[in-house]
Parts: sequence; C-alpha cells; structure tokens
Amino acid sequence: MRLEKCWFCSSTVYPGHGIQFVRNDAKIFHFCRSKCHKNFKMKRNPRKVKWTKAYRRLHGKDMTQDSTFEFERKRNRPERYDRNLAENTLKAIKKIDKIRSDRASDHIKNRLKTGKVQRQKEARKQLELGIHLVKAPLALAQDSSLCLPKIKVNVSQAQTEENQPMEE
Amino acid sequence: MIQPQTHLNVADNSRARELMCIRVIGASNRRYAHIGDVIVAVIKEAVPNTPLERSEVITAVIISTRKELKRDNGMIIRYDDNAAVVIDQEGNPKGTQIFGAIARELRQLNFTKIVSLAPEVL
Repeated sequence: MRLEKCWFCSSTVYPGHGIQFVRNDAKIFHFCRSKCHKNFKMKRNPRKVKWTKAYRRLHGKDMTQDSTFEFERKRNRPERYDRNLAENTLKAIKKIDKIRSDRASDHIKNRLKTGKVQRQKEARKQLELGIHLVKAPLALAQDSSLCLPKIKVNVSQAQTEENQPMEE
Repeated sequence: MIQPQTHLNVADNSRARELMCIRVIGASNRRYAHIGDVIVAVIKEAVPNTPLERSEVITAVIISTRKELKRDNGMIIRYDDNAAVVIDQEGNPKGTQIFGAIARELRQLNFTKIVSLAPEVL
C-alpha cells in the first residue's frame, strides 16, 4: 500500500480513491478525484489552475523550501519490519507534520501581514460610507458613538461675505 | 470492453500492427472482453514481408483497455489505448518483446511469459 500524490492538485491519494491513468509511454498519472482527472483530460496545466498546490508553490503563496520536506521523500526499498522503528516513525510523522503545518501557516501569515494596513484603511472607508446600514441616520444623530471621529477643519471668515446680497 | 469489430493496437514485436477483434473467447454469447481475456482477431495491418500477413486470423490476449480495470483493493487503472499481444494456442506470445506497462491480472491468468517480458508491471 502506498500513498500517492495526485498529479494535478498534489493532495494525497489514499487507497480506494481516485483513478490511475497509464499513458502509452508507460507514465502513470494518479488522480485523487474526478475533478482532477477531468481537468487533466481538458489538458489544463496545473501550474495555471489557481486551486492546485503547483500554482500556489509557483506563485509563492505556499511554503516551497523547508527541511521538513526532506522527510517525505519517495523510498523504493522496503524496510524490514522492526517494531521500534515503526513506533518511532509514527511518532516522528506526527511531530514533523505539526512542525510543517505550523511553518506553512506562519508563511501565509507573514505574506498577508503587508496588506494589513491597506485592508484597515479600506475597512475604515467602507464603514464611513455605509454607516447607514449599521445604524439608522436618525439614531446616529442623537448618539454618535458609532461614527468615526470627524476631523474638524477651520473655515476662514472670508467665505461668509459671499452670502450678503449685492448692493445696488 | 472489446467487442467484435474493435480495432486494437499490437503491443509486441510480432510484426502485426493493428488487429480487429472477431470473437471474444469464453462463452457462446459473450459480449465484451477486458484485460486478460483472449480474443480471436484478424490482422488489419502488418509490417510487410513478415510471416504474419494482413487478413490472417490469430488469437490474442488483451493487455490494455481504455475502459477502466477495477481491482478488489479499490484501485482503478485506465490505459490510453486498446492493445493486445498475439499469442498461440497455449498462451505463449508470438513476439519476443512487449511494449508498455502490463497489469498484474495477467499473472493470475497464467500469462507468465508475457508478464516476464513486460518492461513494467502495474
């Protein structure tokens, strides 16, 4: 039994799932589900399809280089069963998995950090424009605790002279 | 799902290029042949000046089908084309080389010579 990687989306294919396609040059493609299989038949390039791991790694959305990936190499030599080795391997798998997923989520968090200021500015603007959706304008006038503090600008006195009627 | 009139590629070096299935061996009204089934075929296209000629009737065993092969462990394998290997009455291949990956089912059906010649067994 072997856990393969889906050729299209790079997720693991567990036994009993998916289809294997053997091309005429004897290259085997594993697919995790019919979605990936159908995309392959449509001749789509996984590096251009946004939800695949190949795209995400290529465009720097996901972590690409890490020492934890070294543990998951493909091994073709079957190991002689050793109870201690099996026990230690299972423990190690759990720990390495945790480390890898923590590092991957850190990578994503750092990537999204730079946009935080921009997102807050946009949120502020949206709140200002759409405050009537949050609280009725009448209620807002009476209790302006929901409003963002308005910046007061001093208008110069020269403007009030325009309102006087023209002298005949 | 190979049935009479199906054209198949030949996956060995037995000098035939393309076969057309005439009959599925097994039961009197057997409809389809899958991987590992023996068929009677006529040679539609052959390499010129060789012992096997066009419109010669031979037996062959099916090596790969476009229809998926389902295994008991849930594995599903699909090939890119329909191909067969020319055999004689005992089940020994007429050619000396097999091209392409072969499914493990052929070993259970006693086509051991074919499996041993195959470059890769799936």
